Amino acid sequence: MTLDIVHDLQSVYRKLVDSTSRPGLISDLSKQASLVEEEDQKGCSASLLLIALTLFDQEVSFKVFSPQADYVSQTINQLTYAKPTDLKKADFLLILQDAEKGSLEEAIINAKAGTLKNPHTSAFIIVEVDSVTSGEALLLKGPGIHTTELVHLDINENWVESRQEKNKEYPLGIDLIFIDQNHQLLALPRTTQITRNRVIEWDM
Amino acid sequence: MNTAYNFAFFDEGSKREIRRATLKAIAIPGYQVPFASREMPIGRGWGTGGLQLTLSLIGKNDVLKVIDQGSDESVNAVNIKKLVSDTTGVATTDHTAEASLIQSRHRIPEVPLKKDQILILQVPLPEPLRYYEPSENETKKLHGEKEYSGAWLMLFEQIMKYGSMTTGADHPVMVHDRYVMAPSPIPRFDNPKMNESEALILLGAGREKKVYAVPPYTKVVSLDFEDYPFEPESFEDKHCRLCGSTGVFLDELVDEATDETFYQCNDTSYCIETLNEVEPFGVK
Repeated sequence: MTLDIVHDLQSVYRKLVDSTSRPGLISDLSKQASLVEEEDQKGCSASLLLIALTLFDQEVSFKVFSPQADYVSQTINQLTYAKPTDLKKADFLLILQDAEKGSLEEAIINAKAGTLKNPHTSAFIIVEVDSVTSGEALLLKGPGIHTTELVHLDINENWVESRQEKNKEYPLGIDLIFIDQNHQLLALPRTTQITRNRVIEWDM
Repeated sequence: MNTAYNFAFFDEGSKREIRRATLKAIAIPGYQVPFASREMPIGRGWGTGGLQLTLSLIGKNDVLKVIDQGSDESVNAVNIKKLVSDTTGVATTDHTAEASLIQSRHRIPEVPLKKDQILILQVPLPEPLRYYEPSENETKKLHGEKEYSGAWLMLFEQIMKYGSMTTGADHPVMVHDRYVMAPSPIPRFDNPKMNESEALILLGAGREKKVYAVPPYTKVVSLDFEDYPFEPESFEDKHCRLCGSTGVFLDELVDEATDETFYQCNDTSYCIETLNEVEPFGVK
């Protein structure tokens, strides 16, 4: 079986729609990811490539964060015709698993946040993480969430604070998509408010 | 299914463009994201925005329902349904509960929408401020600055002139306390259904080249004043002459021969479902 660029990418898109409209909802891309050709996955995960194939074309610019950034950029460019560009101009920022520590924060701080007239000209940040089902507990609130939603994310950075700073002037801001090694997808659009869910210790 | 066309009519490049715009629209509830709006085999202004959203979303396992002012059988709805099912081969239905994608012109169905459904509304005029500001550049600035006094003033003038807000349909709403949005020409009766909706609502304006969205569980408030609160159409003491339903949106019909006024459900599939529940016909 090979990846069907019409039907499989339609499924990926619907999962992106589900996860973006319901932050905290984790979508499973493993079925589609298993169809991505081994030889195309040069340096990046199959699920990241799926998102690139779903959304990227010659009108899109992107920037890869990884020691192998040039190599991965070339692959994505050849597969989608999207153009690699600078951090501050890119429509999509791709933070790979092997990116230097601090890359996510750097991306969040420098990504384009749109303008008040055109807030949609902001960047999507797509992050490869170890797991979107274990790790630090985060409490989510905002549009798409009934009351609150609890998610677990395994990222060793102060990205929550940087994101909050970046998104403080709504509707300006950045939208985040996390994918993990098991091809599970979690989206945090700019409207979602995150609180680190610290366990309160009781003095008994 | 007609295989001379691409699946879902569009080429993949066109779908990608709409998909990127739609994801941004979901991330910024109520904000109108510009998109390319391709030429469609139906005229602009006849539901092309909704149709393009439907085509960009639809997959082989979807079940599609299309309604036009509450009716599954009007020309516009039938044509759109035919085009989509001819180019995708997906099943269509009249039953709201069975559909996964519901494209609608000017109504939100009576049967409450569920989590796994997406409602797509066709929008003729996406800009709620256009009535008093003809320049797109200016309205974008007003939205950017959250400067909505004109929208309130418009309603205030209606109250001064006519004693109440006279927006028959398309009564402006405030989404997520940020953007004033045109809910498409749904009757005021349907406005409250947008608030904290269980289903995702996408709105597409083909001629005006805009898509926007109301994610599930998002605050949507109809604009009003403390002393002149928003009032949906009231059908108190009235019921459908066919199925007897109350508390639904009713059409007022006049029999010209007898001059008699009667009321009937606007949502035809809801009416038929209710009738069938009461008196099942056919052999069991």
